[in-house]
Amino acid sequence: FVSYQVEILDWKTKKQLCFLDKVEPNATIREIRLMFHKLYPRWYPARQSIKLDPKGKSLRDEEILQHLPVGTTATLYFKDLGPQIGWTTVFLIEYTGPLFIYFLFYFRMPFVYGLDERFASSPHPVVNLACICHSFHYIKRLIETVFVHRFSHGTMPLRNIVKNCLYYWGFAAWLAYYINHPLYTPPSYGKKQINFAVIMFLLCEAGNFSIHVALSDLRRNGSKTRKIPYPTKNPFTWLFFFVSCPNYTYEVGTWISFTIMTQCVPVGLFTLLCFIQMTIWAKDKHCTYLREFKDYPSLRMPIIPFLL
Amino acid sequence: MAASGSGGSRADNGYSSQQPRRRRGPGALATAYLVIYNVVMTAGWLVIAVGLVRAYLAKGSYHSLYYSIEKPLKFFQTGALLEEYLLIAKYLPGIVPSSVVLTAFQVMSRVFLTWAVTHSVKEVQTEDSVLLFVVAWTITEIIRYSFYTFSLLNHLPYLIKWARYTLFIVLYPMGVSGELLTIYAALPFVRQSGLYSISLPNKYNFSFDYYTFLILVMISYIPIFPQLYFHMLHQRRKVLSHTEEHKKSE
Repeated sequence: FVSYQVEILDWKTKKQLCFLDKVEPNATIREIRLMFHKLYPRWYPARQSIKLDPKGKSLRDEEILQHLPVGTTATLYFKDLGPQIGWTTVFLIEYTGPLFIYFLFYFRMPFVYGLDERFASSPHPVVNLACICHSFHYIKRLIETVFVHRFSHGTMPLRNIVKNCLYYWGFAAWLAYYINHPLYTPPSYGKKQINFAVIMFLLCEAGNFSIHVALSDLRRNGSKTRKIPYPTKNPFTWLFFFVSCPNYTYEVGTWISFTIMTQCVPVGLFTLLCFIQMTIWAKDKHCTYLREFKDYPSLRMPIIPFLL
Repeated sequence: MAASGSGGSRADNGYSSQQPRRRRGPGALATAYLVIYNVVMTAGWLVIAVGLVRAYLAKGSYHSLYYSIEKPLKFFQTGALLEEYLLIAKYLPGIVPSSVVLTAFQVMSRVFLTWAVTHSVKEVQTEDSVLLFVVAWTITEIIRYSFYTFSLLNHLPYLIKWARYTLFIVLYPMGVSGELLTIYAALPFVRQSGLYSISLPNKYNFSFDYYTFLILVMISYIPIFPQLYFHMLHQRRKVLSHTEEHKKSE
């Protein structure tokens, strides 16, 4: 039984921040983080990036000291990740904003369209429908955040939330402004266009929800390891035959349907940006799957079947 | 916005493989293409410079010199878009991502000034502010492209390196002033003609006010220009002191 000694240096200045004596060989990085936190109370574990190499990747909580490529005196590097915020909190804030901001415009708050239009309602039924759909979308997202999603990383940097909120809230305000405007023009093909859009919207929302549930079931026992998602009995999940991230596919579909429903350029622009962002995420995820699993289904594309 | 360019973040050379950090330089064929490209761009901006001087001498005043170099200016400034595409698509080797964003920003703002302001609002073409940024851009680009050319050929005269990392101190504010004054001059004409603007109601449920957009563009210079300027000053310190060390060690 050999006990380890662990010294932790600042990644930039290489100054020794702490020296831990008599560390058990089977200690996890999580335990080391807790020990470090005792010495430096303001650097709680979620803020600590502990790595083997000053410029390397952060070590996971589950890593065990004796399995790392270190001698009995281990040198680790610490980097402060800055104030962290939990993913659940982030999503709750990001999604509640658009929900209520849209209402400001829908109910025509006095300062929005001028005093003559305050609290007036729109003569177009599609405007009411759009409000219902938009609200439904964000309420669904909030419910999923609380009850369905299981996050692999606990936290993200606090400054991200400002950026993200500006984006989601800003766009919600921009598109709500036009849809609920007194001079709004309903879609060119009338009821046909709207009905088609509603059906597509509902299908995509159901699909998106099914995928989230399926992904969540992969981590039912609280494990953090990645598994290949497969189609289940639910027909919406059959998209997994063709695509690695069908939740993103359905999400883009939802926004396309909303664009068709409202026939509004800002909505279209938001849809385009969503598509670009989700394609980037999907390609990333797809590459990770390919790297980790040698038997990954070869038919699958990242986000669009056969194409992208 | 004058000065800076794709070599911004790297300490010394442009595309050359002689780097402090071992980076894979371009192959022989790629180098040949890059040299030709940079020579052509240098020549192009020299043509613009010569055009300006000749027109000034012929007219006796610096008023309305824009018309004498309008076409080559549009051609070569827009040609920089190709260069930016090559950077982004990583056909140009060993380029650090952060400099891609900086150069993209500068190229976009230059192209915007050339086409969306000066070309589109004919009334500003006789303004002196146009001459201000055209001169700034011309001098900067001649130095920048010859810097790249010489770097690729591994024969970089210290004078060119010094010029590239020093003259921007004057040229950059000069260019920015010219650009801002031109946009400001264009404002009343945009308001009057409703240029590039669309208002409600319309079947796309969209509105855009170019006048407000131009004002926002002007405001955006306030946070962005100082950042770029200080980045260039920082680069200057790094590059020119690095050369001093090299000289001392010889």
